[in-house]
Amino acid sequence: MTSFGVRGLLSRGVLAVAAVLAVLPVLFLVSLSLRGVDDISNGGWLPSRLRWDNWPAAFQTVPLARMLTNSWVIAIGATLLTAVIAVPTAYLTARGGRSGARLYSVLLAAYCAPPVVAVLPLYFLLKNVGLTNSVLGLALVDGLANVPVAVWLLDGFVRRVPRELEEAAWVDGLSVAAGVRRVVLPLVYPGLVAAGLVCFFLAYNEFLFAVSFSQSPSSQTLTVGLSLFQGDRTVQFGQQAAASLVAIVPVYLLAVAAQRALIGGLSQGAVK
Amino acid sequence: MGRVPLWMALPALLSLLVIAGYPTVVGIALAFTRSSLARPLRAFVGFDNFVAAAESVAFGGSLLRSAVFAVLGTALSVGAGVAAAVALDARGGRFGLLGTVLLLPMVTPPVSVGVAWKLLLAPVGGAFTGLRDALGIAGFNPLGSGFGAFTTLLLIHAWQWTPLVTLLVYAALLGVPAELREAAALDGAGWSRTLFSVVGPQVAPSVLAAAILELVIAFKVFDLVVVVTSGGPGVSTTVAGFEVFRTAFRGSFEVGTAAAETLLLGLVVGVVLAVAGLLTRRVRGAEQ
Repeated sequence: MTSFGVRGLLSRGVLAVAAVLAVLPVLFLVSLSLRGVDDISNGGWLPSRLRWDNWPAAFQTVPLARMLTNSWVIAIGATLLTAVIAVPTAYLTARGGRSGARLYSVLLAAYCAPPVVAVLPLYFLLKNVGLTNSVLGLALVDGLANVPVAVWLLDGFVRRVPRELEEAAWVDGLSVAAGVRRVVLPLVYPGLVAAGLVCFFLAYNEFLFAVSFSQSPSSQTLTVGLSLFQGDRTVQFGQQAAASLVAIVPVYLLAVAAQRALIGGLSQGAVK
Repeated sequence: MGRVPLWMALPALLSLLVIAGYPTVVGIALAFTRSSLARPLRAFVGFDNFVAAAESVAFGGSLLRSAVFAVLGTALSVGAGVAAAVALDARGGRFGLLGTVLLLPMVTPPVSVGVAWKLLLAPVGGAFTGLRDALGIAGFNPLGSGFGAFTTLLLIHAWQWTPLVTLLVYAALLGVPAELREAAALDGAGWSRTLFSVVGPQVAPSVLAAAILELVIAFKVFDLVVVVTSGGPGVSTTVAGFEVFRTAFRGSFEVGTAAAETLLLGLVVGVVLAVAGLLTRRVRGAEQ
């Protein structure tokens, strides 16, 4: 066998194992969600008979529909807030010379601290302004907390915009801000989409802030709802699996649908 | 003309004030005062909260546990991620559907990840009960012992965060000029020789950057612990972030102690990241 053959076989083997590992736990959730209690206790990978009743039951055990809505509203609101802040900020970090570079490192340092450090102070802040147990409060916190990630991803895109294009716009009488809006923004659009997707996933998947700031059912997110399904009883396995899939399916659909934008944006923005 | 207007800094400064500046100041104030969730900052108590944090059995070891988790989690995900990226690169062609499948763990909500693995590994109703019975290890439960639970959490964490390394390193591999590889091949270097001596040094900065990112992410682990082990058995998987949360919001509501604990955690994270940054700079410096 040629060395190419061995290498090809080896790399394909590694990739096949990785792909199976990547989907296995979620496929097992699908299997569990379609099985009755006895079928689950018997163990094994596949259902002996398909049953759908775990799905409606999960929606009744916890207010899943409400939580799903909350998660979406919070994630979309947070992503919009992050984007509005991150665009001018990324322009500043990329084009602002030394102070831009300084702002960039401060933002990265802020991202490095574990969020649990900010939980108690933010709890008191939200309580003082009446935004605990509130969808708006969580959207604000998540949106601000994700700004460093968005700037990190966008900065590289802004750097690749040719300066000459902007200079031409200034000569035509545009202000710097108008140049950002009309020249830079359309060119960094792929990066903005990728950063938006990443920040959406981060806000949608967020758990620590959600569980700390929002105890009331009206503002609880899906991740908090899932964590409420605790307990080792087999009875709830099927429902727990169904509820977890309710959380997973939308992000998987979004990730697959937007795979090009996501992969392009992540890999181009992050590698400098 | 062409200077960045100052107002553009305002949104960023406001965000930093809310997510970093204010929490730091209030966190320090909370750490030196007696507080409850209903009434913060009631009386100055000096270092009492730090003494309470140091005496807490659960918190004492949790800082070391967090650091060990972060370092091992990073080693696992970087190792596996680099292997997958090299395999993707060797396969050639587009990232495609396979690439997307490999990335899915990264976007899965960590709480769902925890639920999925917990059910997968369950002693009754799990996926491996048949295998376990066939092997005759009836009592085997990976989450039953402290070592087993910690190792399992590490593996689940690596499952979720390996894809990020794969993506970043694969992108860096694509950026290696084809002429370099061709030149190495002309000089008679084989595939592995080219990989280690020519391609490796080119992508080393990206691998290091991915490693630092993984370190940061691993220090934040929280959701998985809550769902999979709740910090147990005993305190074997009680990482610092989880213990701070429990101290502040569950059971005892010791706000001051929790604030002192967050300061200590911030210190440990800062030291580990500073050491990692220093090592990175040294490796990069040695290459140039």
